Amino acid sequence: MSFSVDVEKQLGDARIALRFEAAAGITALFGPSGSGKSSVLNMIAGLMRPDRGTIRVEERLLFDSMAGVNLPPEQRRLGYVFQDARLFPHRRVRANLLYGYHLAPEEARWMTCEQAVDFLGIGHLLDRWPATLSGGEAQRVAIGRALLSGARFLLMDEPLAALDRSRREEILRVIERIRDEMRLPILYVSHDRGEVDRLAASVIAMPETATG
Amino acid sequence: MASHYRRLICACIYLMLVCSGAARAADAPLVLAASSLQESLTAAANIWAASGNPRPVLSFAASSVLARQVEAGAPADLFIAADEQWMDYLDSKRLLAPRSRVALLSNRLALIAPRTSKVSLPIRSGFPLAQALGNGRLAMADPDAVPAGKYGKAALVHLKVWAHVSRQLVRADSARAALALVERGEAPLGIVYITDARASARVRIVGIFPANSHMPIIYPIARLASSRNREAEAFRRFLISHAGKAIFARHGFMAR
Amino acid sequence: MDISQIILLSLKVSIVAMLASLPIAFLLAYVLARGRFAGKILLDALVSLPLVLPPVVTGWLLLLAFGNTGPVGRLLNTTLGFTFMFRWTGAALAAAIMALPLMVRAMRLSIEAVDRRLEGAARTLGASPTRVFFSITLPLSVPGILAGAVLGFARSMGEFGATITFVSNIPGETQTLPIAIHAALQNPGGEGIVTQLTLTSVALSFCALLASEVLARRSAVNKGHDHVL
Repeated sequence: MSFSVDVEKQLGDARIALRFEAAAGITALFGPSGSGKSSVLNMIAGLMRPDRGTIRVEERLLFDSMAGVNLPPEQRRLGYVFQDARLFPHRRVRANLLYGYHLAPEEARWMTCEQAVDFLGIGHLLDRWPATLSGGEAQRVAIGRALLSGARFLLMDEPLAALDRSRREEILRVIERIRDEMRLPILYVSHDRGEVDRLAASVIAMPETATG
Repeated sequence: MASHYRRLICACIYLMLVCSGAARAADAPLVLAASSLQESLTAAANIWAASGNPRPVLSFAASSVLARQVEAGAPADLFIAADEQWMDYLDSKRLLAPRSRVALLSNRLALIAPRTSKVSLPIRSGFPLAQALGNGRLAMADPDAVPAGKYGKAALVHLKVWAHVSRQLVRADSARAALALVERGEAPLGIVYITDARASARVRIVGIFPANSHMPIIYPIARLASSRNREAEAFRRFLISHAGKAIFARHGFMAR
Repeated sequence: MDISQIILLSLKVSIVAMLASLPIAFLLAYVLARGRFAGKILLDALVSLPLVLPPVVTGWLLLLAFGNTGPVGRLLNTTLGFTFMFRWTGAALAAAIMALPLMVRAMRLSIEAVDRRLEGAARTLGASPTRVFFSITLPLSVPGILAGAVLGFARSMGEFGATITFVSNIPGETQTLPIAIHAALQNPGGEGIVTQLTLTSVALSFCALLASEVLARRSAVNKGHDHVL
């Protein structure tokens, strides 16, 4: 099993509880806005702490409330692609791409910068500042940055939601290529049925969030 | 430019007086006096007021500062300086009421130390003032402008020690400010008027400067030419009378 | 009055005051921006105190604590043979205390403006919290740090009340520009010097502001923001 997740979290009035297992390939977390999909991703990434539960990715235990295990995000070997790219505005594209690369130990780097740049077609953007990129360009750089950090699995939080039609298609194809050419488990969050159907091998529906 | 400046100063001083806590009766005279007269002049004003006269409003500062205010048109009635020079200065600008200038008081200069200090330093030509100061500084009023400082510098020059200590001074705004520094123990020695030293319980007098080491300390009083206050002249007469001078004598001043 | 000596002393005092309080101001700004602890409001109030107290009061408090007869002053004197009294270091201390609240405010604003989600993204890329601080938080706070520094410098250049109360007016040691103007004003006929000193003061402040503008401009251009409308 690639993903083995069982988490619970009380966020204000809403209570999030999700439990699922997923195999390799793209697993979609599907549900309407506000159902807690991003929160689940943040818990798997280590940016949010579940109230209780366990998180296991590819046989690595990332979180276990009973055993007191809680790996910090920087040790979880993940790549996270956000809806708004979140490139570092004070560094150029090349430095953004290499940020995680430089921090990853030698053996964790399974892709070189040239490979990533070729794969994503961003060679002409390397000297640009993030503020000057279009939505699609920024998202491609964000994906490259995540891949180059030695990620063993990818989390994608509605990566197409902020893009217009033509860009969306462009990124969809990139993600399909990642799915097909690289053996990375991907957890893909979306509220768009079309995306989910096209990309995902399995779909997990978010349960209704209980309020109160 | 000068007249705008004068008007601005007038407005500011007027505003300050209006806003000041002391409710000033319409005909109470405004007296600008050297800071060393703080206790004695206040006592005189109290006695004057106790006899039913409007209580004079008193403002104390270094004579140089006060002269500047008068020059800029401060609406004061009487001016008491700590030396003749500042009075001469105003006289030369024709700011004094004719024939109202009188030499009122005299004083002496003292070398003081904090009360707990054990220093013994007879004052005579070439005395080891710099050694006594050590790393500390000599507190005195600004020797360039304030009368107490000018007298002090003259005395130190006369006693041939000025060159040794001129780099080790704290140039205070007034003799009273110098007194405060010595009281606090921030300066090991200071030069103030003997009347200042007597007014404070936290300093002791190490020595008194010989009267011939500096110009005689004379406090002239005069009415200002711009004064329209009817009570001002009466108060001035009171101060220069025997009764008035007796009040100052009680605080250590000498009469002229 | 030696005008060049006064200016150089003012610059020395203000630069030292600004540099010395920079790290302290940043630390306080960070704690106030990100910290969550009991007593945070008290800390905030304490830091802002020099801003609202009459400067003379601040100077007097400094005198009580750091004067040769005060607790801290006496300790420094006996252990290190060091004193603030009547020295330019005392003037710098007074200036630093008065400038601190302004610096903290400016820096705190810019730290609060750093998008914490960027810090989260850096964590997922493998950066430890310390590395995140030095590679993301700090660089992005730099505009605020610079603004705080310039503000602190300008405030130090204009500092008067606390300085004259604490360390008096000693030419060559504590007679900074504002104190020199005050002393010159006390002498009738001092307008000439006052004008020269005032013009200098205005010119220096103007230069400081221009410098901060240029710095701000450059850091924005570098990020490509002038292409983005």
